[in-house]
Amino acid sequence: MVDLSLKLNEFELDNPIITASGTYGYSNEFEVFCDVQKIGAVVTKGITKEPRLGNDGQRIFETSSGMINRIGLENVGIQTFLKEKLPILQEQGINFILNIAGSAIDDYVELAKIADKNKIKAIELNVSCPNVHSGCIEFGVNKDSLYKLVSKVRDSYSGCLIVKLSPNVTSPEEVALAAENADADAISAINTVRGMGVKLDFVNGQFKKTTVAGGLSGKAIKPVALSFVDRIHKVVDIPIIAMGGIYTLVDILEFFSVGARAVQIGTANFTHPDIAQKLIIELEEFMQKHKFSTLDELQNKLKEAEYV
Amino acid sequence: MQKKNHTGKIGAITQINKQVYSIEFSSPTLKSINPGQYISILCEGLTLRRPFSVADFDNGVLKVLFKQKGKGTEYISGLKVGDSIEFSAPLGNTFTIDDKKTLLIGAGIGVAPLFYLNKKLKEEGAETFLAAGFLSKEDVLGDFDFVSTDDGTFGEKGSICDYLETLIKDFVPDRIVSCAPSAVLRIISSVAKSHKIDCEIAMEKVMACGIGICRGCVIEVRRDGKVQNATVCKDGPVFKGEEVVW
Ligand SMILES: Cc1cc2nc3c(=O)[nH]c(=O)nc-3n(C[C@H](O)[C@H](O)[C@H](O)COP(=O)(O)OP(=O)(O)OC[C@H]3O[C@@H](n4cnc5c(N)ncnc54)[C@H](O)[C@@H]3O)c2cc1C
Ligand SMILES: Cc1cc2nc3c(=O)[nH]c(=O)nc-3n(C[C@H](O)[C@H](O)[C@H](O)COP(=O)(O)O)c2cc1C
Ligand code: FES
Repeated sequence: MVDLSLKLNEFELDNPIITASGTYGYSNEFEVFCDVQKIGAVVTKGITKEPRLGNDGQRIFETSSGMINRIGLENVGIQTFLKEKLPILQEQGINFILNIAGSAIDDYVELAKIADKNKIKAIELNVSCPNVHSGCIEFGVNKDSLYKLVSKVRDSYSGCLIVKLSPNVTSPEEVALAAENADADAISAINTVRGMGVKLDFVNGQFKKTTVAGGLSGKAIKPVALSFVDRIHKVVDIPIIAMGGIYTLVDILEFFSVGARAVQIGTANFTHPDIAQKLIIELEEFMQKHKFSTLDELQNKLKEAEYV
Repeated sequence: MQKKNHTGKIGAITQINKQVYSIEFSSPTLKSINPGQYISILCEGLTLRRPFSVADFDNGVLKVLFKQKGKGTEYISGLKVGDSIEFSAPLGNTFTIDDKKTLLIGAGIGVAPLFYLNKKLKEEGAETFLAAGFLSKEDVLGDFDFVSTDDGTFGEKGSICDYLETLIKDFVPDRIVSCAPSAVLRIISSVAKSHKIDCEIAMEKVMACGIGICRGCVIEVRRDGKVQNATVCKDGPVFKGEEVVW
């Protein structure tokens, strides 16, 4: 028997395959495609204090090997989440991580307190949100504002605190260290990469243009994510949950080899809605076949891989 | 619970005209799908599945009529009889199926779901009238009770919108159902409203998840007196004409 389980501080997961925020709903929505209970953990859509309606206009744009989204954090808000979604997660025994977002430090703190009170075992901070008190610069791009945010949340939350980093930064090392120094239990990376899609039409002698500017995800960003994880793994000791364009078992092994402890599947859920469950089976079969009995064994072996 | 992912086998694929293809496939796991609902097809090498309405579902065989547009439809048109096809289904809500007297209005490839709806309405004993507008004679897809073409090369000349009043006056429907480009749907909705006739329209929006969770495909609707978001993929694609905020 192989043991795929792992612990992020006190937060236990049966396996290292997690589904990414915004691509898997709030709770059991994907049960129409697969057995959600088997997923290591489901990260909820980003939740804010109040419900949000999101952005106007076109929200999705497919690119070569990926997609751009500008959903604008449309979500039901924490109260509806607690009332309608949390009971489903609990009744169905779905392991989950609450992803939270805000526009001021107080928003995050308040959400963290609510999570704490409701005994939610793990939260993930989406720090790619503009801070209204600092000229709408994202919390996650500056090490000082990130440190302050994470410290404040840490003071109000006793569960597993995961900080989800944005790749749109000059120094991944600095922001990762800021999260670690502020006592985060784990880092997840990467959020979407800033990008823009342009579609041109030429009608009756005139150009017409559609643009969709937002976050790029999917296969296109895997190299960005690998580099990011590799860099931060060299400077922090807390576990790293990697994501960005993961579609296959080989992708997962690549991320393990640069130091990831667990992975998240995002955009791939749209392409293959049962992929997370399939990857768990593939990982298990691979470990069985090659006689790795624990995740540690596999990950250590991968980290020792020889350069050719 | 039967999951919504299926693998089918292509039974037939035919090119109907320069741009439009008909494809038929079946999957033992897909037991039922209703008019208005759609499927989404995995296209090799592409991130997002492509949504298509059901033009017919007969004895387990699904029929889709699609217009070649970009990479996804190019991939599907390249499939051969015997190839396998991965798709999610059934997705979305349905048109109302009852015995009310129904005027069905399609424009272009929008006629696709109306064929299946027309068949089901007739099975319920409804009197129906199927009208459609196309650009030109070579674009006309199938048999209709009324056709107009923009250039007048087939049926009446002009846009289908030019004939709405006449169609309503002659047929006196209890309900109007339409699938067409959004500019046409908007006109049909407002004409139906002015005649106080129930109206159901099928909308389109770029989709990612197909089950209402990514919020990529929302439109605004007015319900319970307030404007709110609705997903085309799950709350739709069928909406009441009067509730859509254009
Ligand atoms: C509910 C629903 C039912 C549909 N039924 C049919 C049908 O029966 N027959 C048919 O020919 N077409 C139908 N369409 C439109 C069809 O989905 C698009 O033409 C198709 O996705 C184009 O893909 P492409 O890669 O060839 O084109 P591209 O333009 O290269 O596609 C780029 C992206 O935009 C999306 N996209 C492009 N056009 C549309 C559109 N009109 N609606 C939604 N997304 C779009 C694609 O899915 C893809 O993500 C339907 C759309 C919806 C939402
Ligand atoms: C449609 C969509 C919505 C997303 N919403 C959120 C969100 O609410 N909060 C968040 O932290 N990340 C969100 N993300 C980012 C993903 O969780 C993930 O970090 C990113 O897509 C990279 O992984 P991938 O390439 O596997 O998709 C979203 C991504 C997509 C595609
Ligand atoms: S496509 Fe995801 S909500 Fe409609």
